[in-house]
Amino acid sequence: MNKHIKIIGIQAIFLIAVLIVIYFLYPKTEVNVNENLVDFKSINANVIIISENPDFSNPRYLKIEEGGNAALNLNPGTYYWKADNGIIEGMKNEIIIKSEVGIEINRTENKSELINIGNVKINVTRNEEGVLVGYVTLEPDESKEIEDKGGYTGRQAG
Amino acid sequence: MKNLLIYNRDFENEVFKKNISLCFNLRFILICMLIISISLMILIPGVNALGITPGRTTLNYEPGLEKEIIFSVLNSEEKPLKIQFSIEGELKNYITLANNSTEFSALDYSKDFKYNIKLPESIAKNPGLHTAEIVALEIPGESLQGTYVGATVAVVSQLYVYVPCPGKCINADLNVQGTDLQGITTLIVPVINRGEQKIDETKAKIEIYSLAGEKLDEIETSSASIEPEKRTELNAKWKAVSEGEYIGKVTVFYDREFIKFEKKFTVGEEILNIERIWVNEFRLGEIAKLRILVENKWNKDLNNVFSTLIVYDNRNAEMANVKSASEDIPSLTEKELITYWDTAGVEEGEYNGKLIVIAEEKSTDKNLFLKVRKDSLDISGVGFAINPEGGEGTSLTTILIILVILLLIGNLAWFVFFKRMRKKKK
Repeated sequence: MNKHIKIIGIQAIFLIAVLIVIYFLYPKTEVNVNENLVDFKSINANVIIISENPDFSNPRYLKIEEGGNAALNLNPGTYYWKADNGIIEGMKNEIIIKSEVGIEINRTENKSELINIGNVKINVTRNEEGVLVGYVTLEPDESKEIEDKGGYTGRQAG
Repeated sequence: MKNLLIYNRDFENEVFKKNISLCFNLRFILICMLIISISLMILIPGVNALGITPGRTTLNYEPGLEKEIIFSVLNSEEKPLKIQFSIEGELKNYITLANNSTEFSALDYSKDFKYNIKLPESIAKNPGLHTAEIVALEIPGESLQGTYVGATVAVVSQLYVYVPCPGKCINADLNVQGTDLQGITTLIVPVINRGEQKIDETKAKIEIYSLAGEKLDEIETSSASIEPEKRTELNAKWKAVSEGEYIGKVTVFYDREFIKFEKKFTVGEEILNIERIWVNEFRLGEIAKLRILVENKWNKDLNNVFSTLIVYDNRNAEMANVKSASEDIPSLTEKELITYWDTAGVEEGEYNGKLIVIAEEKSTDKNLFLKVRKDSLDISGVGFAINPEGGEGTSLTTILIILVILLLIGNLAWFVFFKRMRKKKK
């Protein structure tokens, strides 16, 4: 009976020891998402693996620099990521980058410009008295000179 | 004497009245100018900006589906704003908006709103895409002289509902994932099964053309099976002749059917590569001549390429912003851009900077670290690299499996050991 308790004890110690080792070796990573910018901070990971698929097919690898930081801009969508330090590959996490449709009319003395201030490609229609009179497609940050009248409506393209 | 005093008083009164009148005129002019300026500011607002997120919500049809969807309106300019909501599109009768209008104060950047969608059973008979739009329209502010008549802005949060088709049908796209160090580009064809049946095998053929219409290559992707409503990615590798724009004509085969589409794609994230930045003879306080070697990686000539160097001080404020002369860089060649930086007043130290190279509305930037000494200027680039390879760690699942196996072996060893001991005792 004593031997059995010893064996169970040894196994428990072994298990605890392994879990402690895993805890210390586990790549601990924090992520901050600010609009399209995803910023990873880690104390012991070398690489962040990112994929658009939960099974991590077609992954991309983001190298973490010496300061423990890595940042990248992602297009709107759902992404899966895990940290890796060459010893342990971390658990799967999810990031959702929301699509943002935004338009701005910037008026100066001589002209008016329509700017895509969102993070996706947009189709902008121009209406006058309820009738569609124009149409333009703008990439993020792209601008176009416009007539300062009517109504401009922006919607996600594609 | 009395008369003289009276005369003097009259004279003073007249001068006083004239001064008052002059002051009044000046004040009047100033007030008029102020009113005109304010009126103009109100009448011609410099900026109208509005945002909405998410731009699109996608749902897969389920019988009797009811869902609450949250969206946010963004007051990007952080100014008082009146917004009116409306619903448009085929599914508008099945959507209930919680608010018809709202007001933003200058302190509100973003506000959350919600709508409910209750899908009718009838749309199940029409497979494919069904849509609705939540429109947020900025109501023009009223000025002293009425309503401003300039352009108004509105933004839309779309609702896409996909009703599965009875047989097999798919949606597909073509994306570029990236190019590795060997110049091999990974092309991705994401495929979504919009049908009710499983697709046993899907595969794509990509024919690559130059923008001039010349066929350059034909490649096949990997194959995969897809469950209903699920997404998969088919990938193919291609070595591009040079970075630039190409046209991909894609045929996606799924079981015995196929769809065709074409899309323009870009190989290479940077059309311009900043190869090197250096200074030949540097003396602090003088004008430094910076040489920036830029490579045009594009498959076409780039005209009017110029660079802007920004140097930040220790408080992260701009202390220098200098622009180079413009140069034309032929396709797949390198050229030097020369920038002059006046270092008068700059102290020895370490500074952060940014170098931006601009060509034809596209730009490449590089974060820099500048070490300024009396007789030297060292510039090094800092950046984050995305690699096609990496990640050599063992997954937690593997570690746990190894742990379980080890414990099993340990227990088995003990078990065998005790059995033998018992046999010996017997």
